[in-house]
Amino acid sequence: MNIEHFLKNTSPSWIEGSEDYSDIVMSTRIRLARNLNGFRFPITFSEEEAKQVDESVLQVLLSVKEEGPKFSYFPMKEMPSLQRQVLVEKHLISPHLAKREKTASVFLTEDESISIMVNEEDHIRIQCLAAGLQLHETYAKASKLDQCLDKELMYAYDEQLGFLTSCPTNVGTGLRASVMMHLPALTMTKKMNVLIQTMARLGMVVRGIYGEGSENLGNIYQISNQITLGKSEQEILDELQNVVEQVIQKERQARQQLFARAPIALEDRLYRSLGILKYARILTSEEAASCLSNVRLAVDLQIISDISLSQLNECMLLIQPGFIQQYAGTMLQAAERDIFRAKLLQEKLQIQEQNESTVRGKGEDLYDV
Amino acid sequence: MICEHCKQRHATVTVTQVHNGTKQERHYCEVCAGKFHPFQMELQDEPVSIHQLMSDWLGLPIWKNQVQGEVQQKQQPSTCPSCGFTYRHFLKVGKFGCARCYDTFRDQLPPVLERLQADVKHVGKTHSGEHQTEYYQKQIETLRQQLQQAIAEERFEDAAKLRDETRAIERKLNVGGVDSP
Repeated sequence: MNIEHFLKNTSPSWIEGSEDYSDIVMSTRIRLARNLNGFRFPITFSEEEAKQVDESVLQVLLSVKEEGPKFSYFPMKEMPSLQRQVLVEKHLISPHLAKREKTASVFLTEDESISIMVNEEDHIRIQCLAAGLQLHETYAKASKLDQCLDKELMYAYDEQLGFLTSCPTNVGTGLRASVMMHLPALTMTKKMNVLIQTMARLGMVVRGIYGEGSENLGNIYQISNQITLGKSEQEILDELQNVVEQVIQKERQARQQLFARAPIALEDRLYRSLGILKYARILTSEEAASCLSNVRLAVDLQIISDISLSQLNECMLLIQPGFIQQYAGTMLQAAERDIFRAKLLQEKLQIQEQNESTVRGKGEDLYDV
Repeated sequence: MICEHCKQRHATVTVTQVHNGTKQERHYCEVCAGKFHPFQMELQDEPVSIHQLMSDWLGLPIWKNQVQGEVQQKQQPSTCPSCGFTYRHFLKVGKFGCARCYDTFRDQLPPVLERLQADVKHVGKTHSGEHQTEYYQKQIETLRQQLQQAIAEERFEDAAKLRDETRAIERKLNVGGVDSP
């Protein structure tokens, strides 16, 4: 599979939505950290070791039998930085991997639901993505792949400490399960801070979706487990599922309250956002993200019905700097990006508008006759 | 608790005696315990004389070596033989340099892990272990060769370290390879 496929495709399988809770949960991500015996961790290893690790993973993954997933292999060294950035923005690789100077690579399946990073912070990081809330199913997929690799490679494993990882925050199961949630009503009603603190006490971490520091751009939060040692995978997944379901309930309540208290004010706010997205000529990523969040809420509340969730998910990806530049076909300054961002969003939402007018056109014809 | 013998210092040693089927517990301070306890002599020996290491080598009980190992580790910051990380360096970067670090710093790990994790014991999925046994056996073989060489060159301190490493791996081999599903 050509890299172009992964760069151009803005609607990978996990973006489709429509699973359970898809009005609030955008996607599920499972990550397993593994290391190989006999090689130092990427933080200290030599280029020679890096190559050997890369080589051995390559051999195993490209010889996967017919029924197994098929991977395309992309070495980081040969990839231009803009392409790397796009993959980061699609969450297919981590920013850390994109910056590696020693031999590192990523394996991707065509539908982009599995990505295996080699020589990131750990030798191997298996990552599985899925739409909606599917913690157990996604873990099962990752675990199966993990077993395939375990058969062929020698994992660094300790009877007492489990799978050994470079960072002691991953040791044990090496499992990080994350759920991406859209929580506009809880954010508007300023309940997120308390919620984040409560979740920290339950051993869960909350981050913004566009990486560290981007706190709650677009009101999207990523909730994941903190603990990896002393709990089984099943317990970790069950606990996260439990917390996520509670947050969903809270968000739904908050939405209903907002809508009940001031329906017109809310509708006004959401429609204004749609107006901005359709007609603005300059859009910063912050403004675009918050408008998209509002439109998404309007779709969820069935105030706006002519825009689909998958279309919005796609726009969420597209507003990031790497994508904008990929679209423009050149590197851009921040101010230029804002202009292109507005144009790109207009195009995406315009397509819908055209469909709409053709439908209406037909309708009018009928009426005239 | 105060030492039952001198009634002055803090009691840090518990001695359990079984006499005619009845169990008796006594609490002494280190100084007084030294006077009663038959093994105490060895604890107070100089820990790193070559003489001592050689006599360990010749097959004195293992538990004594472990006590010594602990004393040594507390005294000097250990360095990971594989990647050269010290514990201080680990604290600075928050990451380990290699899988071996977990062995090197095993004694210092519990407080770190307790703060970050639910427990210090893995209860999740285990690995297949198919290649593990093979790998450990190879490792032991290499270590034994190095050991022979160290003895031949009279590098006894190195030899002692290599021997400890070999034993640690042997222990893993006995625990690990067999019973994991």
